[in-house]
Amino acid sequence: MTARAGTRPASTILIAFALALTGGAQPLHAQHLLVPMDDSQTNHLKAYGVTFGALVDGVRSEWLLNYRGGSFLLPDTPGLRRAAALAGVSFDALDGAMLGAIRQEVAEGNMDAVPLEKAPRIAVYTPPDAPPWDDAVTLALTYAGIAYTSIWDDSVMTTDLSQYDWIHLHHEDFTGQQNKLYLGFRDAPWFVQARDRDLATARRHGLADVPALKKTVADRLRAFVERGGFLFAMCGATETLELAIGGLGVDIAGPFSDGSPMDPDADSKMDWGRTFAIKDARLEQGAGVNAMSDIDGHQVNVPSRRQQLGTFTLFGFSAKFDPVATMLVQDHRTVINDYYGVTTSFVRRVLKPSVTVLAHEEGSPWVKYVHGSYGRGSFTFLGGHDPEDPQHNIGAPPTDLALHPNSPGYRLILNNVLFPAAKKKPLKT
Amino acid sequence: MTSRRARAARGAAVATLAAFVLLPRNSVAQDTTAAGALVSKALELEGTGKHRDAVIAWREVIAAGAVQPGVLGLERVFSMLGQEDSLLVPLDTLLPRFPRELALRSAQLRTLATLGRDAEARAAFVAWRDLAPRDVTPYREFARVLLFNNRAAAADTVLREAESALGSTRALTLEIAQMRSALGLWKESAVAWREAMRDQPYFESATVFALTPTPPALRDAVRAELAMKGTPLGATQALALLELAWGSARSGWQVLSALPPSDTTVAIWREFANEAERVRAHATARDALTAIHAARPDAAVALRAAQSALLADDAASALRLARDAATRLDSTRAISEAMPLEMDALARLGRASEAEQVLARATPVIGEEGVRGYARSIAWAWIRAGDIDRARAALKDAPIAADDAVSGWLALFEGDLKTARAALRHSDAPGQDAVSAMALLNRTREDRAPAIGSAFLALARADSSQAAQRFEAVARDLPDAAPLLLAIAARIETARHDDKRALALWQRVAAEHAEAPEAPEAYLEWSRGLRRAGDIPGARERLEHLILTYPRSALVPQARRELDALPRATTSE
Repeated sequence: MTARAGTRPASTILIAFALALTGGAQPLHAQHLLVPMDDSQTNHLKAYGVTFGALVDGVRSEWLLNYRGGSFLLPDTPGLRRAAALAGVSFDALDGAMLGAIRQEVAEGNMDAVPLEKAPRIAVYTPPDAPPWDDAVTLALTYAGIAYTSIWDDSVMTTDLSQYDWIHLHHEDFTGQQNKLYLGFRDAPWFVQARDRDLATARRHGLADVPALKKTVADRLRAFVERGGFLFAMCGATETLELAIGGLGVDIAGPFSDGSPMDPDADSKMDWGRTFAIKDARLEQGAGVNAMSDIDGHQVNVPSRRQQLGTFTLFGFSAKFDPVATMLVQDHRTVINDYYGVTTSFVRRVLKPSVTVLAHEEGSPWVKYVHGSYGRGSFTFLGGHDPEDPQHNIGAPPTDLALHPNSPGYRLILNNVLFPAAKKKPLKT
Repeated sequence: MTSRRARAARGAAVATLAAFVLLPRNSVAQDTTAAGALVSKALELEGTGKHRDAVIAWREVIAAGAVQPGVLGLERVFSMLGQEDSLLVPLDTLLPRFPRELALRSAQLRTLATLGRDAEARAAFVAWRDLAPRDVTPYREFARVLLFNNRAAAADTVLREAESALGSTRALTLEIAQMRSALGLWKESAVAWREAMRDQPYFESATVFALTPTPPALRDAVRAELAMKGTPLGATQALALLELAWGSARSGWQVLSALPPSDTTVAIWREFANEAERVRAHATARDALTAIHAARPDAAVALRAAQSALLADDAASALRLARDAATRLDSTRAISEAMPLEMDALARLGRASEAEQVLARATPVIGEEGVRGYARSIAWAWIRAGDIDRARAALKDAPIAADDAVSGWLALFEGDLKTARAALRHSDAPGQDAVSAMALLNRTREDRAPAIGSAFLALARADSSQAAQRFEAVARDLPDAAPLLLAIAARIETARHDDKRALALWQRVAAEHAEAPEAPEAYLEWSRGLRRAGDIPGARERLEHLILTYPRSALVPQARRELDALPRATTSE
């Protein structure tokens, strides 16, 4: 008996599956499948993967903003039913009348239906040897089953980034100071290995040191956004990217990284006109202080400045007039427990007025989640490292997302993955 | 906190202070004789539920000079009446007279915090603090009150103020630990509990209570803090007990077993063993009790260890421990306490001749009646040895009930499924054999199947190769139980590490019995076999088939996890 001999014909399987799954209550074939994203959803994170998979297969879908937690509307196909069942994603089968009622409800409230047309081409800027759990985005993408391409310094320096729609930045230090981890880990093998790797890359590209390499990489990423790309950054990548772009011609790195002390007038020489979201931040001059600047409100690595974690609240936006911001905050929770990262939050004082704040901690001087346009593209910054590991420490066990299939924090990451797929609609006036 | 339940809880908490406050204190002078009578009267009224009369009585207590018991009595009674704010009136009069009195200040903070009058509570705390800026007591009391009222964030603020004002929070480590637990800062809480136990090692129970709710994903961080080199013994004990509470009894024992034996260590081991027995972590209890016995030999401990070993289905250890215990007991106690465990162990091991010899040696003491009491054990030993005739012979003079498990197994080995079904219905014998037997008897409608008996007999004789072959062969004759029989054969082959044979059997279950309850298991095992052989696409296909075809199977979540764990392709440049 061969392995395949035991497998029943696909049609039989699907019918049996559909009957069993729905208990006979749902039609075997409807016109649409509604993937609810409120508390009734059994696996929110994989729901993004199912929707993304549909787009990869050329199947158009819709994102029903503010409807049941930001639900997805997919055509009813055997392939999508199969994908949802495999992923453990719950859905409702809709006939024409049911869909009509939903559309009417969407039309009458602060909701909107945004067509999703094309799967974005995704690249994640991450070291070649980084395991998926070292970065929340790769963790989320892997768990949701969303394919991506890993890029690193050589790729950024030599390839045309416009082949990608969306780039996520691993929690890299673009000032080239390796997050100042030399303060505690200078002899750790992984630290030495990373430093040597980056230095070799810099020399390969004719650059003197790691800060020069990382600032050049940061500027190429800036140009990618300027030309129409979507950039998503978390944790320390947000802050250091801004510092690297604003300080392109300034020595902003301590002596450990480039052999020379930081320019004492670096603050006044920063060009904040080039940065995405930040202005007038003050650089941390102390080489022994594990902070880059005063951008982060929480300063987790400086015990005397460290602020306690609270909760952050997602803002509500007008789905019909501000669909991009609305897409980015789709969630089944509006208040989410905060979590630390090398950069946990962004102090309001240093945000440019053009930046849209998507989430903040009420009563605090910092915000958590921001978005803005830059050139023809846009960027989103989310503070913190891992939404389900609030204290994330080096060497901490990896987060198992199978234990957090309904994570509201991880949904914010996946909102960013999907929103470049949305068809741009003219603003209603 | 305004509900009746909350008031009752608070009243109970306050009542715990009663013994303390009834003692004469230097700072608040009182006529103990006169006041004592008034206190007794007030307590009596309070105890009989006459709360309004008790209010008057407690006021009389205060008037007589017994301020502390009077105020605390009023606090309890007003709490029961839902009139917490009424206590503030006498406090306003008394506090100017006794401004440094801990009981009065604490009562004021409790009352204001309970009423949600945060600003006034804060002002009361500040007033107390300013009387003695270097004293940790106001900070501690206010932090405790806030923690009691689930105001962990506010307690955090107070503790930070203490650190700033006093230069250290060493005297507040307990409050900090509680606060961090309440805030869900599990790792930080573990650090604080660890430090608190350097001076106060008896907080291990409080530590366990506070850290038990740690989410699974964060437990490793807590483990790391409590297992850190140089941690106090209390922290090590707390970690072991936490592991028990988290269902990782084995890990808990690993933490403790590394400790060098001493009186203290043995006391900790005893507590751990008691807890392991309570949560039915039998194998762990066996190990802990065995270690205690090795360090401080004691027949009673050895007997408990033997009992735990039997419950853990470890008859060999049980036999060794029971025999060790017997050497430490007088002959009468050895026969009455150790021999039953020894006989049970021998029976489970199928060492029937040995069991008969043990029984023969004890016969002069226990008499013929006593011997008949062990007939079942002897029969069971022969069953385990696979000798049905001698098992029946053992029962000749001591007939057992028709629904006894021994009768059931004898019937099963002889293929009398009807009798076996009736007898094994209530069997609580441990082991996979019993589970398989019960599953089979519930599945088939056949009343007689000697081939089945032969297969189970081979299993009882530990001849797993023969057993697997016989279960597979008999599947042809028993169509209504065929998938189960094939699954039993496959499980045996898996246990024998014969992947090829096991895989072939699982494939048969999947192909020939797709509607059977065993089919999802067959696909899961089939997938695992393919994965081990390096056939990832094949493994993926079987898992997907399981999920899609059997969406209601309990194995679907596991299949999804294994599907996620299969290597996926990602590109890199």
